[in-house]
Amino acid sequence: MRAISPITPPAGKRPLRCRIFDPFRETPLLAWLFGAGLAVLLEHLLGESFAALVGLAKVPVLFGLMIILSKPLLFPGALLYVAVIYLLPLVTVALLLARPANTAAAALLRLGPAVSVLFHLALFYAVLHFWAEISGYREMTVKFTLIAVLLTLSLNLINGYMGEFSCSHPGFMALGAYGASIFSLSLFVNDPLFGKALLPAFLGPWLFPLGLVGGGLLAALGALLIAIPSFKTRGDYLAIISLAFLFIVKSLLENLPFVGGPRGMGSQPDYASLPVVFAWTAMGVWIMNNYVRSTLGRSLNAIRDDEAAAEAMSVNTRHTKMTAFMFAAFWAGVAGGLFAHMMRFINPATFGVQRLAEMLAMVYFGGLNSVYGSIVGAVSLNLLGEVLRPLELFKWIFIPLLLILVMIFRPTGLLAFRDFDAVRLVQPRSRDRQGGAP
Amino acid sequence: MTYFLQNVVNALQWGSFYALIALGYSMVYSILMLFNFAHGDIFMVGAYIGFGVATLLVALSAGGAVVLPGWLILVLTLLISMFLTALLGMLVERVGYRPLRDAPRASAAITGLMIGIILETGNLWLVGARRVSFPSLIPTATYDLGGVILTNKKIMIVLVALAFMLALHFFVRRSKWGMAMRAMAVDYVVVPLMGVSINAVARLTFAIGSALAAVAGILFSIAYPVLDPYMGIVFGWKAFVAAILGGRGSIMGAALAGFLLGFIEIFVAMAFPSTLRDLIAYSIIMIILVFRPHGFFGEPYSTKLRL
Amino acid sequence: MSLLRVEGMSHFFGGLRAVHDVSLAIEPGRLHGLIGPNGAGKTTIFNLITGVYIPTGGRVLFGGEEITGLPPHRIAARGLGRTFQDLKLWRHMTVLDHVRMARYATIGYGLFGAFFSTPRRKREEEEIEAQARRLLAMFDIEGLAGQLVTNLPYGVQRRVEMARALALEPKLLLLDEPTVGMTPEELNQMMELIRRINDEFGVAILLIEHRLKMVMELCDRVSVLVFGEVIAEGSPAEIRGDPRVIEAYLGRDAVAA
Repeated sequence: MRAISPITPPAGKRPLRCRIFDPFRETPLLAWLFGAGLAVLLEHLLGESFAALVGLAKVPVLFGLMIILSKPLLFPGALLYVAVIYLLPLVTVALLLARPANTAAAALLRLGPAVSVLFHLALFYAVLHFWAEISGYREMTVKFTLIAVLLTLSLNLINGYMGEFSCSHPGFMALGAYGASIFSLSLFVNDPLFGKALLPAFLGPWLFPLGLVGGGLLAALGALLIAIPSFKTRGDYLAIISLAFLFIVKSLLENLPFVGGPRGMGSQPDYASLPVVFAWTAMGVWIMNNYVRSTLGRSLNAIRDDEAAAEAMSVNTRHTKMTAFMFAAFWAGVAGGLFAHMMRFINPATFGVQRLAEMLAMVYFGGLNSVYGSIVGAVSLNLLGEVLRPLELFKWIFIPLLLILVMIFRPTGLLAFRDFDAVRLVQPRSRDRQGGAP
Repeated sequence: MTYFLQNVVNALQWGSFYALIALGYSMVYSILMLFNFAHGDIFMVGAYIGFGVATLLVALSAGGAVVLPGWLILVLTLLISMFLTALLGMLVERVGYRPLRDAPRASAAITGLMIGIILETGNLWLVGARRVSFPSLIPTATYDLGGVILTNKKIMIVLVALAFMLALHFFVRRSKWGMAMRAMAVDYVVVPLMGVSINAVARLTFAIGSALAAVAGILFSIAYPVLDPYMGIVFGWKAFVAAILGGRGSIMGAALAGFLLGFIEIFVAMAFPSTLRDLIAYSIIMIILVFRPHGFFGEPYSTKLRL
Repeated sequence: MSLLRVEGMSHFFGGLRAVHDVSLAIEPGRLHGLIGPNGAGKTTIFNLITGVYIPTGGRVLFGGEEITGLPPHRIAARGLGRTFQDLKLWRHMTVLDHVRMARYATIGYGLFGAFFSTPRRKREEEEIEAQARRLLAMFDIEGLAGQLVTNLPYGVQRRVEMARALALEPKLLLLDEPTVGMTPEELNQMMELIRRINDEFGVAILLIEHRLKMVMELCDRVSVLVFGEVIAEGSPAEIRGDPRVIEAYLGRDAVAA
């Protein structure tokens, strides 16, 4: 084993990274959230006037990056806006409130880890909500990103945790999207395809979860169809058969006139509001994270790393693989249902190989076998995709190049093989509590 | 009956494209154990290179600099495009695959996918979104054999495709390099012992596969002279499935599966509305895979994606 | 009653006869050696007993019940643990997770518990972890609980594998050449460990071994396998004197001499 000798650089010559981040070492998540809250508040109060002051036509939608790319001359203004409206309050609060926030975080934790996590989550949602409220485009982007998190994490279950290569995720997403759309269009809307509404419309938002779960179950059923032949044999079998499945689902939908054929279905009711999408994503991440951290879920890793050894240690490998595959498909289906009610229009072409490439990119960019990685991959590639819009065509050269570089230098992705522990995330960070941790 | 025979002829032509593309997939898959998801787009680029070369030669010829007959332009186009596309294939191998030789195989599949996107985008940028049409190099001659319509182009396409497949077959079976390829398909370790470097074999594999994709691209352009930058996606994924259907380690299996796919598609379109083509074709493929999990000629193997 | 009875077990790979009419009986708590030259079919016998292959003929009884043809995980869950010649550790998993994984069959919280992190799951996972840590302590590797196995030296990896197999709480442990590639010092430690497992846990052990000396020192009974057939069985002393064994190991000339 390689001995790890502590490297202590001479004082005053510490690396830049350390010197920047050192002061924040004791800042707990709570203080960061407060800081972000203040920044969002500031944007609500002063955003427009400050934007006008620094010469911007309106509030920069995504941290000024789009402005910089489309009108490079405006870059001082955009930079100033980000610095004053976002960074300044964030950093100030993170520094000044570190100590009281630590006390508060400790008190919250004493009420119970679940309480603390839920409180942080609520605070995070509030910040997100007020940030997204500024423009419809922001809200759309946030919703897209949240759904992408769900898709990425569920695909990571198969391609990362289980180590197979599945190509059918857009197909599962399509099944969920169509299932949920049929549910709400036939029950709550007067629709040309499905006729008069069967139930009063006010019930719709309340029964929407049923539609989502129904769509998810439909996707899981599709997954069962693949799983039965696939997990008898090993090798790259799943990759091919799931690819064939994707094409079958797509062309099946194109050939079913009662779901609109190639033209698709539109005017789904607007049930996928930001809180709904956020709640489902949070729940999905929570459940999937629970699963992969349990001994039952860890058996996926054992199967991936050595299936024979897993069997010899009493792991029912076929059963585990099938459940995990259906479970992942379920969440892809839920994500599809949310997607359909957010876009309020779907057609079979939405769920083709392009979507597959996108999902795979997010999984492998963020990192295999990692909930953090999936979140980071989905969020960064989604935001990057939006921010780089002004580059037009070159966006599709830049993003693939970035991904190739990541694959070359970190073949399993940026944050692979990390455990996600929400309780550790919300812990206070003061040094005295952790016994002088470095 | 004549209707049936006519469709056999059409299916042979249609299957030739799939078979030639599937060969490239299958070679990379059999020899390097990789999914080269960029291959469909290499086919597309090959067609465009062919378009560029042919247009240039036609212009030169029309300008009176050197007057070349159509068939010679065609042969030159084929050779030059094969060479250029082979270079592209080697570049793809060098940039996207060699740095990842020891990485998980899935990561290499992702770089392939990304290189494909770059090729599409690059092509869009160079040529634009409009479709371009391939110049007609040889006049079409039509023969009527008892109701079955043959054209000289169709015959040529099928024959050229078959000739290249046979050439590849003998190359892999008889030559020293072919032996190195087959050895590598079995075991990486022995190849350096034979005095051949793995990198050289990998480069050659990509070069040959890409050259065949260029052939497919040009033959396709002769039959259907309208090119668009996304033609690689439709063809690529289908040919990929065909390659796997042929079985790992069986290059000729891939070619046969390509023809099979062509036949399935043409005959499905003959019996059913054409919108059902993909649905039925893929359903048949799925059923075949359920009963023959290792493809037609593949040996059972038990490798997983290394992680 | 024997803990494990193998009755007339045969196996063919294609047309090739790998194991022919093998019978074995292992008593509870005993240490049984299985020796034989390379390619005699020792590992194949392990794979047949543990369900990796299904025997072409014959029966396997474990604790009086027939287990022939059961899938490996069900055989393992009944208390038949094994190790592998080539370790087969899970390269991306920690030492602790290795040992926890072997409790898979005893998990009672089910998928619902796994998804929603119910109190029952928390309780069970805590029990699993506590038990795993106890086992690691017994193997002197508790300090490495959070390490990935790939970072560990070979001797330690062997211990991890042994701890993993023991976490099944097996009644019988099949050890497949546990000392292969070990230094003399590691070898002595391993012999000590095997003895301790046998004494402290009361686990019966079926040991495949190449080194005759080790088998002779450790085992109560020894079976000798040559070309897929058991040619002799008895106490180490009996085996040592058996001319057929000497012939198989040293050749015909050695017997004559």
